[in-house]
Amino acid sequence: MLAYLVRRALFGAGTVLGVLLFLFVLFFLVTAPEDIARKSIGEKAPPEAIAQWLANHGYDKPLFWNAERPADTLLAEHFRRMLTFDFGVSDADGVPITRRLGEGVGPSLSLTVPLFLLGVPIGIGLALVAAFFRDSYIDRMGVVLCVLAMSVSLLLYIIGGQYLIGKLLRWFPISGFDPRPSVILRFLALPLIVGLLAGVGEHVRFYRTVFLEETGRDHVRTARAKGAGEGRVMTFHVLRNALIPILTQVVLEIPFLFTGSLLLESFFGIPGLGSITVDAIQGNDFATLRTMVYIGALLFILGQVLTDVSYTLVDPRVRLG
Amino acid sequence: MRALLVAAALLAAGCTNNPYPDDDARQKVLYAAFSEPPKTLDPQVSYTTVDHAVTGPVYDKLFEYHYLARPYRLIPGLAVEIPEPQAEAGGRVRYRFRLRAGVYFHEDPCFALSEAGRTTREVTSADIAFALARIADPDVNSPVVESFGRVVGFGEFGQRLAERRKTDADFAAKRIDRQYAELGGIAGVRLPASHELEIELTEPYPQILYWFAMEFTAPVPWEAVAFYDGRDGRDLFAEHPVGTGPFRLVRYDKRSRIVLERNRHWYGVEHPEWRAPAAVYPSEGEPDDGARGFLDPAYAGKALPFLDRVELRLDKEDIPAFTKFLQGYYDASGIIEESFDRVVKEGRLSPDMEALGMRLDRAVVPSIYYLGFNMTDGVVGTPAGEKGRKLRQAMSLAIDSREFTRIFQNGRGVPAQSPVAPGLFGYDEGYVNPFRKVDLERAAGLLREAGYPGGVDPATGRALRLTFDTGDTSARGRLRYQFFVDAWRRLGIDVEIAATTYNQFQDKVRKGAYQLFMWGWVADYPDPENFLFLLWSPMARSAGGPNTANFADPTYDRIFVAMRDRPNDAERLRLIRELVAIVERERPWIELFYPESYTLTHGWVRNAKPLGMSFSTLKYRDLDPAEREHLRREWNRPVMWPAWVLAVAAVVVVAPGVATVLRARR
Repeated sequence: MLAYLVRRALFGAGTVLGVLLFLFVLFFLVTAPEDIARKSIGEKAPPEAIAQWLANHGYDKPLFWNAERPADTLLAEHFRRMLTFDFGVSDADGVPITRRLGEGVGPSLSLTVPLFLLGVPIGIGLALVAAFFRDSYIDRMGVVLCVLAMSVSLLLYIIGGQYLIGKLLRWFPISGFDPRPSVILRFLALPLIVGLLAGVGEHVRFYRTVFLEETGRDHVRTARAKGAGEGRVMTFHVLRNALIPILTQVVLEIPFLFTGSLLLESFFGIPGLGSITVDAIQGNDFATLRTMVYIGALLFILGQVLTDVSYTLVDPRVRLG
Repeated sequence: MRALLVAAALLAAGCTNNPYPDDDARQKVLYAAFSEPPKTLDPQVSYTTVDHAVTGPVYDKLFEYHYLARPYRLIPGLAVEIPEPQAEAGGRVRYRFRLRAGVYFHEDPCFALSEAGRTTREVTSADIAFALARIADPDVNSPVVESFGRVVGFGEFGQRLAERRKTDADFAAKRIDRQYAELGGIAGVRLPASHELEIELTEPYPQILYWFAMEFTAPVPWEAVAFYDGRDGRDLFAEHPVGTGPFRLVRYDKRSRIVLERNRHWYGVEHPEWRAPAAVYPSEGEPDDGARGFLDPAYAGKALPFLDRVELRLDKEDIPAFTKFLQGYYDASGIIEESFDRVVKEGRLSPDMEALGMRLDRAVVPSIYYLGFNMTDGVVGTPAGEKGRKLRQAMSLAIDSREFTRIFQNGRGVPAQSPVAPGLFGYDEGYVNPFRKVDLERAAGLLREAGYPGGVDPATGRALRLTFDTGDTSARGRLRYQFFVDAWRRLGIDVEIAATTYNQFQDKVRKGAYQLFMWGWVADYPDPENFLFLLWSPMARSAGGPNTANFADPTYDRIFVAMRDRPNDAERLRLIRELVAIVERERPWIELFYPESYTLTHGWVRNAKPLGMSFSTLKYRDLDPAEREHLRREWNRPVMWPAWVLAVAAVVVVAPGVATVLRARR
């Protein structure tokens, strides 16, 4: 197990370096820092102000090579900052990026965690029901509904939800966020409903397939032959053994709870990490954007390791080495 | 079943679209949306409307604009009066500003830096000098450095500061106020007394007073800049303003919620007996202000401000923000394009909206959009001489500004006749530019005289080919430019749109490699100089200035300088008319329109006259919370029946299936 983790960490480190190099090419070679400066201090800013801004934000250094001080280049600075998690300040407003990330985690988690905690059991529950009523019209209708739900874009769910639930039915605020306990639930209700509706189809269809595959296996047939009730068969014999493929999907999602949902946060005005990313894209805030991409890559690698480790927990036959 | 009913009742009770805590309903809280987070609240740097929405009410300025009077007029703010320029030797000019005594900064922990336990201190002229030094400071990156270039020693102070910091690390590590003091400050900024400030200019520049009506020159305590450095968990000064204004910032989640609270220690509140012009509601305004409800006797002469709190909420998307306005959760709003026809009918509020008690206020913004000719170009510019002038005049006669504004601006704009926008000294409402109406016959005649009969270039025997350069590659942009291309095609001229990225376009402009373009200008201050300088040759784009047409006319330049340096008198008016006549004849621009802003407010909001400029008017606003609460409740009753229908439908569809399967399994 330890050897596996070490090997995985080394492999991950290589990937991280590759990601960093890619980010450098993307953010320093493809785009001109003058554009970022102009976005930040205004189109009317004179050339001297642009030059000063570049100097203040460290964009005036040589790209790869500095004969006098070899470590004082944009490339070296980029690697040093990212690897030491010293992300510097935002190109848009000069706020330390670490602080901005700290501010965004709470709102992101307040949406993604309930979405995850409700979404997974609802998905599994509905899939179990579908599997239980397999081949009945409930099952078939469920599959049709799932396919329909999957085919609709999240954007349509958002706009439709805002229009129908927020505007016409007036159940919840159409958008916005306020972390105060007396009102936070009002703001989370609509994005939660929309997020659940948009995600449930895919989850149910996948889990249902896993469960149906499992129900056809010998051990389930044996359990039935021994006289176990259908409820017991579904929970103890089917659900337990179907956990490996479910875990693969579920555990991989956990790290991304921290990065938030780009579309939901952006459209519902939730000031989480997802909307920080969208703002960074729109505002040419490349310092924040490369940090978010970097963190996303790190979390992806972490998610994969976690998935592998979780296999050993649910299936004693799996050994990592 | 009973449990189900209880759950249903709870659900119905919990359903509300009210985005605010219930306790807020009874307070005088004004709610407004902002569409993007402010970039910075550093008064010496902030330059956008959304920045000013926060810094405006927080920072008092030496002068302000009269809330109701037009043309725009300065009134004393923190200053006791508006100073007159004093002539000095060598053509220099001196202004002496006298500040009110007894004005204090907002309470803030930063003041402990100057004295332990202190939470505020009195504003002195040194705080204005500090603000000016910050504008000159290269590290601050103020976008208006150039505007203060006429202050004696201004640029030099910035250079000395930068050089000293570069060569002397100990100096650079010193506290900011000590650095400025050690260099002796800006030579032309003197402090004869604790509440007096003298500014010496190298040449007359009456417009400098307008800069003292902006946040750039608002007094800033050095303690706040030194303390809020972003280290050890402290905020950045750019996110923690400490001013003297009628409101103080109490919450700054710029990505969701910004809260301003009435400053109980504002000079207008603590000293109503001063009757300071910027601290009481005006009792005079434009002729129709009385009829529009802006001169209500209940307010005239009353001490400001009227609101307890201002809540600004981030709403990036137009449609949800406008929906919340219609639901009564925002007190004021602009009009989104998608709903324009629903809200406005023939320039007036639609009957539907009127029935909701709303009001619509229009204000022409001191800004202009225009088509320009690059005057250094060999075909359309000055080198082409009389031929080029007639070509420009003909092209001007083909463009219908009213139609353009109707199609692309929902009619929100006044067709422009000259560079001078309405609301400014020198704007002549009766002036009609003979080249700013559509007259294709006259245009054809001018083209013939220019040597392009029917738009045909005799050199090629084909239609004269020109290029319209733009940095906007969007489909929407293309549609707009196509409007002009089509208009010129009617004269037989073939104009090609060259759409490139913004940077490539900027590069072309820098090199002078362009012919026709569209540009807009928003005034920094309401003085005709701020528009007419756009055609002054020292401001040429080729030299990095905003004269995008590279217009250079010695007569214009001479008259412009004479006009710039004069106070608003009859002679200045005459000079402005001469300048406008030159622009009319030479046609470096085809003036398109002065944009209009439309503001919608609910009936419970009082005193919401739009200023048209990026200056805060929050302290004049008032509202009736009881009326608002009543209407909000009426407009927002949740519709619950679809939930019950859905629940019943689900049971009806699923139950027989469940029963059948269970029976079969048994």
